[in-house]
Parts: sequence; C-alpha cells; structure tokens
Amino acid sequence: MHTYTEKIQALAKDIIKQGKAEVVIGFKMGTIPMASNPFFAKNEEDTDKLIWSSTCGLNLANYLSNVKEIDGKIGIFAKGCDSRNIVTHIVENKIQRDKLHIIGVPCTGMVDKKKISLSFGEEITEFIEDNDTLIVKSATKEEKLNKAEFLRSNCETCTHRNPVIYDELISDLVEEQVIEDQFADVKKIEAMSSDEKWQFFDDLTANCIRCYACRNACPLCYCPTCFVDESGPQWVGKGQNDDDTKTFHYLRAYHCAGRCTDCGACEEACPMDIKVRNFTRKLNKDSFEFFNWEAGLDINQRPPLDTYQPDDPDDFIM
Amino acid sequence: MGNLLEHVGIEKERLHFSWISSAEATKFVDVVKEITEKVRALGPNKKLKKQYN
Amino acid sequence: MKIIKIDKKEWEQGLDKAREGYHLFGPVKDENYHIIKELGSTDYPDMDLSASSDTILSPKSVIFPQTEKMLTASLDESQENHHIMERVDTDYSPRALLGIKPYDARAFKFLELNFDTEEYKDPYFCDAMAATTFVGLAVNTPSKFDFSTSVGTGPFDETGLDILLVDTDKEYLAKVITDKGDDFLSKCGFDNKADEQGALKTIEALKENAEKAIGSEVSHGKLKDKTILELYNASFWEDISFSCINCGTCTYVCPTCWCFDIQDEAKDNVCTRYKNWDTCMSRLFTEHATGHNPRESKLSRVRQRFMHKLKYFPDKYDQGLMCVGCGRCVKHCPVNIDIREVCEQMNSYEENA
Repeated sequence: MHTYTEKIQALAKDIIKQGKAEVVIGFKMGTIPMASNPFFAKNEEDTDKLIWSSTCGLNLANYLSNVKEIDGKIGIFAKGCDSRNIVTHIVENKIQRDKLHIIGVPCTGMVDKKKISLSFGEEITEFIEDNDTLIVKSATKEEKLNKAEFLRSNCETCTHRNPVIYDELISDLVEEQVIEDQFADVKKIEAMSSDEKWQFFDDLTANCIRCYACRNACPLCYCPTCFVDESGPQWVGKGQNDDDTKTFHYLRAYHCAGRCTDCGACEEACPMDIKVRNFTRKLNKDSFEFFNWEAGLDINQRPPLDTYQPDDPDDFIM
Repeated sequence: MGNLLEHVGIEKERLHFSWISSAEATKFVDVVKEITEKVRALGPNKKLKKQYN
Repeated sequence: MKIIKIDKKEWEQGLDKAREGYHLFGPVKDENYHIIKELGSTDYPDMDLSASSDTILSPKSVIFPQTEKMLTASLDESQENHHIMERVDTDYSPRALLGIKPYDARAFKFLELNFDTEEYKDPYFCDAMAATTFVGLAVNTPSKFDFSTSVGTGPFDETGLDILLVDTDKEYLAKVITDKGDDFLSKCGFDNKADEQGALKTIEALKENAEKAIGSEVSHGKLKDKTILELYNASFWEDISFSCINCGTCTYVCPTCWCFDIQDEAKDNVCTRYKNWDTCMSRLFTEHATGHNPRESKLSRVRQRFMHKLKYFPDKYDQGLMCVGCGRCVKHCPVNIDIREVCEQMNSYEENA
C-alpha cells in the first residue's frame, strides 16, 4: 500500500466530518490490476474506500467542469499537475476558488501501465506497490520492478511535482526534479524534414478510432459543444478519414495552447496507445520559449494568449 | 498556429500572417503578391486535403 | 461431424491457396498490440494470441466497419444517373475471418438480431455476413478478463462459427460446422480427416480445462425478476456514473454494440452517405433537432448503457445478456468502470434494502 492511502482516508473523513467540504473527489481501488477508479466520497463511510497509488494517473480536475449539482464545497485531491489545472479553471472562471477545498498531494510520479504490461509479457494478475518497488505477478512468475524505470513519460520530465495551490497538504513537499532538457522529444521532431514530420504524425494518428477519450479525460476540454460535434456548420467529418482525424487532433491541441499542464491523462485514457502528448508538447515548448509561460502556476496571472504585451514576439508577421 | 502546422509537417511557407488595415490597399496587394509567389513555389499541397469519395 | 487434422507446418501454405478465392482477415500485431486487418498477400493471422493480448477492437469491423460508404449521388447532369442516390459498389467477394475467439463469433449472432430481421434486412450487414466464412480458434488459456461462460458462451463455443479450430499443440483440429466451412477447408487443401471419436475426446478434454480456467464469473440470474423501474431508479447509478468520462471506448471495443450514425458528406456536386459507429455515451446521441435531450445527464447515459446490455436486451430478445464476456470494456475503460461489478450490483439490488 502506498504510504498516502491511510492519510488520505483519515483526512477525507475529517474533512467531511468537520464540514469543510460536502464531498471529496479522489480514487478508489480498481477491479483489475493497476487500475484506479475516480470516486467521490459523500460521507464518512465512503472515505474508507479511498486509496492513493502510482496508478492514480488521471486528472481529477476533469470532474470539476460540471459540478453545479453540489451545493457545498468540493474537496479534491490534487497532485502537482492537477493543481495547475485547478488554477487554470479558476483563472478561466470555470469554478470559484472558495468552492474548493484542495488537498495537495506532492507526487513522485505515476507509472506507465501500458509500459509495464508490455515489458512483463504475460497477463498480470496482481500489482503491489512498495514505495519505489513495483511487485508484478502473473500466473507463472513474479518480478520486482524499479518504479523509476516505469514512470510515465510526462512524469519523467515533470518539474512541478508539488501542488501549487492547496488548503492542506497530505505530506511534506517533495524535491522538484531538475530536468536538463525538458523538450528533448519536441526538438527531435523539429529536426526532421517536412515530409518526415508529416509521416511521423501520419503514423501517430493512423489507429485513432475517434473515441474522444483524450478529449474527455482532459480537464481543459469543457466546451459545451466541441468543434467536432458541431453540425451547423460541420467543421470536421465524423468518419474514419485520415484528414478529419488529424484535424481533430491538431485543432484540439491548438485549443489547449498555453493551457496544457502535460498531466498525461490524454495518453493514459487512449485505448489505442496513441502518444497524444506529441500534439500539445510543441505548443507547450513555444509558450515557454516565447512567453516564458507555464500554465496554471499563478492564480492571479492571465495567460499570454489572453493578454497583449508590447514585447510579444511578432517576427512571424509580414 | 504556424509553428504547430510546421511541426506536423506542413511547410512553413504555406501559412502567413499580416496586419493590414482597410486603408492600406497598396500593402494588401503587395502582401498578397508575395504570399502567392511563395506558396506557388512550393507546388500543390497534398497534406490535410480531405479526400472525398 | 467432420473433423480435419491440420499440420501446423502446412497451415500457411493452405492459407496461400485460399487467397485465390477469399480475402483473408485476421488478427495481426501492430506495434504493441493486435488489431484485425485484411491480410496482405504475405501476411498471416497471429494464431498465438496469448491470453492477455486479445485484439483491442473486436472483429465486428469486418462486417460492420467503423465508417462505411452507403450511397452516393451526383448532381452533374451530364451523368446518366444524376440526382439518383445509388448504392456504392462494395467488394462482397468471399472473405474468411480467421483466428477469432468464439465469443466474438457469438457476438455476430447478436448483431444479426438488429440488422437481419423479418421486417428489415440491412443490405450492408447481410451481404457482408453472407460473404464471410468464420473460422474461430478455441481459447485454451482464457484471459482473466474473460467471463464468457457466465453469459452463455465459452472458450469453445461454436455459435456463429463455420469452423472451430482447436490447437492441440502439435496440430489444429478443425471441426467443420457448416458447408461454408467445408468449402473453405477444401479451398485450402486441408482434407486429412481425423478419427472422429478420438478427436472429439481430445477437444472435449481441452474444453473442460479451458472452462475450468475461467476465473471471472458474473451472477445475473435475478435480473429478469426485477422490474425495469426498480433498477432504473436505483441509488447506485450515481456512484457508478461519477467517474465515467463519456468517451465511448466501451462501445467501440464491444463486439455486440450496434448503434450507428448516418452522415452525408458532399463536395462540389457529389454527395456520399456514410454509416459511422455511434456511441450512446456521447451527449449528442440523443440530442433532438429541437435541442431537447432526454439523456442530458451523464448518469442517464451510463445507466442506459448498462440497462440496455443487462436488462432491456435480455427482456426483449430472451437470449441472455447482450454481452459475450470478452472483457474488452473492462480492460480499456480509462476510469475502470467494470461491467461485471455493475451486473453484480444490479443483480443483488433490493429496492427496500
């Protein structure tokens, strides 16, 4: 059991008991190995089901988009990236700060479930986490894996593991990672020729089934009618057309420009194992290099695409 | 936007931006001529062009 | 019951002979996972699909593709058939779907209940079904997601199949179930008849082992005695639906889901009508032209999916649950909503508990 689980349960119970929040959004145990299920605890009994582990990779801020039904305050467990998305929600007026009771969870990284499955080979029957060691079992073998080697790719380059906004913390803050070249993956693509880039992205989107899991798991995607669902006029076809599929991904990435916190929920949700972050990473790099901007760090700052500064880059304008 | 399209493989020279007011007719003509030449030099675009039927 | 012995070393050669008369489809490895594809002239289906690596999408896309052209029309008056919507020419020459698991074949029978009825026969579905020979591969080692025996099928089920191949390690035993299956085997040149009694015994033993190895069970016996309204108004839907992100993955990977959307796409003066998979998980699924939406809330959509699969369908068709126990939805749901758990909750629900 992850060391946070007992603290999570105790804290959530306390919060509900003391009326600090009406519900607490967290995770409960999944029904299959390596799974966790987003859950909202409505009473003290429910809080016993809460857990925390390195499989809690989805972004709980996603569930804040439509919580009008809950009158009182909403408690929510937020790791570093989640908390930045909460800040973005507040800046974008999606939710008021005083509606939330945020319990910050300093994060040491989430595991890449698909990577573990692939490397293990056989069907995994049990998955136990023991601090930095992952114990994986199947019907015929057991292996101990080093968590650091199986982190999700966004966790490997994360520099904001500690939550940036919180009402209370579940544990002491962890040391932030120092990453030498945060955008090495983007630079690799930038170095390709136009045709090579086209081929790379063509291969990437080839298996997309347009389930929209990436869009739905993303906390930023809260438009009442997404552009792909618009029918008057219809901007994007709904069928399995390569160009329509690419349009969906590129345009969705563009809508997240300067807002994406690289939480990786999109990649984790994708059933076809498409590396969805490739679409948004380039925009994150540009935001950082042009505007020195990383989304969701300061509740009082408006994002750069929302404001004008005289020294905004404009060398691309003829 | 230009950077994103370049990143996915559409040549940088296909997309251009310019601020032109309705009073700047001459500038408009110049800019259009310049862009037309640049894009024509790249040849027909086949990428992100939806194939119907 | 004719049973043919196929030496594994001759399997690929046989398939090559079949290519003359059939388009072959089957599971192939694509990077890290398996998908069902039309097999190129030098490709063979992966017959060693191990327990944990079933295809992500079910084989239903061979008969009922995700995007299918239905009709086309042209406004060009120089064309003879202008202003007339005609069916698109599709290749319905014989096809063979190889190496699918028995539960997927069972699912096609469910799809038939929708697309091949007395009142209406969907020509696209029916023509594709008529053209296809289903060659199943029995599952010797079921995956832990497999709960097919609880829902009326199983690792050696023959429903919906024309041939059932059983892997006995040293060879394949092919149980010929229909004439279509017989034709296919003849085309491949497989004609080595096995001793019927002996072969059946071997198959039966493997079947028993496989069924015993199924670790996942779901109880649903009490569902038909419950009323629709009591399940509809149950209190557990709130908890179940909270985590759902309405992505539709469950519906796309499900072999029994049959909902579709029809879209017209036009350019210049040519229009094509497409049939695309649709998902009841999407808010748009039930949005009316007036803007009114009877399933506006996420809870109503999640409830709808499970009620359809586990209550409305069994009540209407009396053929068991609308689920073949493949476990794909369980494996691929991003938030781990588990149909087995929902079924248990529905089954054990007591209104006044």
